[in-house]
Amino acid sequence: MSLVVVGLNHHTSPVALRERLAFPAETIPAALLRIRKRLKGAGAVILSTCNRVEVYVHHSAAAEELYSEVRAFLSEWHGTPEAEFRGALYEYEGKETVGHLFRVASSLDSLVVGEVQILGQVHDAYLITQAEQAADKVIHALFQKAFAVAKAVRNQSAIGRGKVSVSSVAIDLAVSIFSDLSRKTVLVIGSGEMGELALKARLHTVVEQAPSLVNNGEALALDQLASHLPRADIIVSSTAAPGFILHLADFRSALKQRGQEPMFVIDIAVPRDVDPEVGELDNVYLYNMDSLEQVVNENLRMRRKEIEHCMAIVERGRDQFARWMHGLVAEPTLTSMAAELGAIGERELEKTLAALPDLTDEQRREVTHLTERIVKRILQHPTAEIKREIDHHDPSTVLHLVKRLFGLKESM
Amino acid sequence: MIAAMDIAFYTATALYVMAAVMATRYLWGADNRALLFANRMLAIGAGCLVVTFALRWGIWRRVPLTTVADSLNLLVLQVTVIMLFIVRKDSLRALLCFHVPPLAAICLINATLAHGKLHTPPRELRGFPLTAHVSLAFLAYALFLLASMTSMAYIFQAQRLKRCRTTGLFQRLPSLEQLDHTLCGLVRYGYMFFVITLVLGTVWAWVDQDLLATRWWLSPKVLLSVVMVFFYGLAFHGRQSGRLRGPKLAYLIFLGFFSLLIIYLVLALMGLNSYNFWGTAA
Repeated sequence: MSLVVVGLNHHTSPVALRERLAFPAETIPAALLRIRKRLKGAGAVILSTCNRVEVYVHHSAAAEELYSEVRAFLSEWHGTPEAEFRGALYEYEGKETVGHLFRVASSLDSLVVGEVQILGQVHDAYLITQAEQAADKVIHALFQKAFAVAKAVRNQSAIGRGKVSVSSVAIDLAVSIFSDLSRKTVLVIGSGEMGELALKARLHTVVEQAPSLVNNGEALALDQLASHLPRADIIVSSTAAPGFILHLADFRSALKQRGQEPMFVIDIAVPRDVDPEVGELDNVYLYNMDSLEQVVNENLRMRRKEIEHCMAIVERGRDQFARWMHGLVAEPTLTSMAAELGAIGERELEKTLAALPDLTDEQRREVTHLTERIVKRILQHPTAEIKREIDHHDPSTVLHLVKRLFGLKESM
Repeated sequence: MIAAMDIAFYTATALYVMAAVMATRYLWGADNRALLFANRMLAIGAGCLVVTFALRWGIWRRVPLTTVADSLNLLVLQVTVIMLFIVRKDSLRALLCFHVPPLAAICLINATLAHGKLHTPPRELRGFPLTAHVSLAFLAYALFLLASMTSMAYIFQAQRLKRCRTTGLFQRLPSLEQLDHTLCGLVRYGYMFFVITLVLGTVWAWVDQDLLATRWWLSPKVLLSVVMVFFYGLAFHGRQSGRLRGPKLAYLIFLGFFSLLIIYLVLALMGLNSYNFWGTAA
């Protein structure tokens, strides 16, 4: 049995190629059907995001055969000659496949390391596979473990903390000042990305209609700015004004009127709209483009520092899963060993019961239970030992010996 | 019984130290499990202190509030219960990093120096009114101690925000608004209990006039308590009226508490903390 992944991502291919090989969500069920026609009884998952296209397959065929089948499938499905994407593909088998999926789900292989979106995308891909009944036992276990590892990475490291885009950082900062943004009043002065930012945060926000101010959908003249300042908890300013439009005195007066309640000011205008001395005031937290960039860089640095720790968690998960998969090799032999001993037990039981015709029903049941218990007890120790042995030695040698010892058929 | 009491007491100390280690570990790594572990250690540690308290009560057949060790145990227990109540919200749990280490330090000091047999209480320390007076006073101290530790967290967050250094512990601590809300709640209830304590003590001293010296209200401890009432009253009024808020209030609470604590300790070490400073009781 082989577990493989064939795919390409932002590290190995340009966006143009990824676009051509992408699977829109609605086509994935049909694609899964097709791949399972090519590989009878295979478990398969297709993960298609803007940064990666990956096909995970578990099947009885050898890995090389699976690679070539998946490549042929991709070529046929997208109508693209294999030669055009072959160089961009990566192909992993067994433990490497497991490690790769765990890294992907934990967002360690993402363009923006630590972003949360990828886990949802992996989950969606798995749900489609489940709905199409295209997952076998190994695929189920693999993805469940991937989610557990991703969760452990999030909980046990700071990889997901600290945003790495200016708008997300601004939202994060607002959240670190105010506990409930939905109750805060935002004053947006000017236009740009920050309008979108405010909407993202579901603030009582404003759509910009330069050169006026809009508050809760109502336009305000620019000269009304100072009088509305005390009501604003968050101020986002991005006008093209040549000089400062908000001064130290405006904020002093605003703070006095609002009982020194904190104010978060994001000044992304160049040249700046807010006098930098405002940042020196207690309870005013002023951020401009430089300071937001500084936070982004610091967050990126912190994430990079966390990668090593996260990789250790991923590797631990990968090794656990590899051990579980290793154990699966022994499963048919263990099953047949149990069946063989069970059959011996039954045969001997029949003989005994035939020789003791005077037994009552109760006594017959007791003897039957006794036989079953003996068979179970006999199996217990060898089963545990076989599993332990194949963890440390060549499974084929161990299993061959077991088959010879118990007189099992070699094909099992 | 005494062996059981000692086991419970030293187990509690060990658990508080372990909780402090875990909480400190959380400062450097972002491992949530360390914090959850610290939380559990504290809960079990508090349970052990309750057992210690009950056993001491059972052995000496009087409320164990007459020694430094018992007062510190009561303080630690009250702080822990309030703290566990505060951090029941996930978003506030990181405050344990600020709250637990001083608590563990108190436990260690207590285990090293103060833990011992009960003294025979002086006459003024007998009876229910005094038990209520002392318990409420320590409840107020517990709230003020937590307020000062929370104000440290506030100052830390506000400074990091000002300096644009927003990684590490900053990301795990609650928002400034939550910290401010917690701080105000602690000061509000602490102030309320402290005023009740003083009123109760005054009524009790007035009713039983033979108990303390005639000019007991001029003793350094009482005067210090009055200063505390004015200090926290000022801080609370400033916050409510909107004149004092944010880092300034946090600094005031933090420095104020520690100044008062140091004065209190100096008075205690100099033996000036008796109610009978200006003469003896009748």
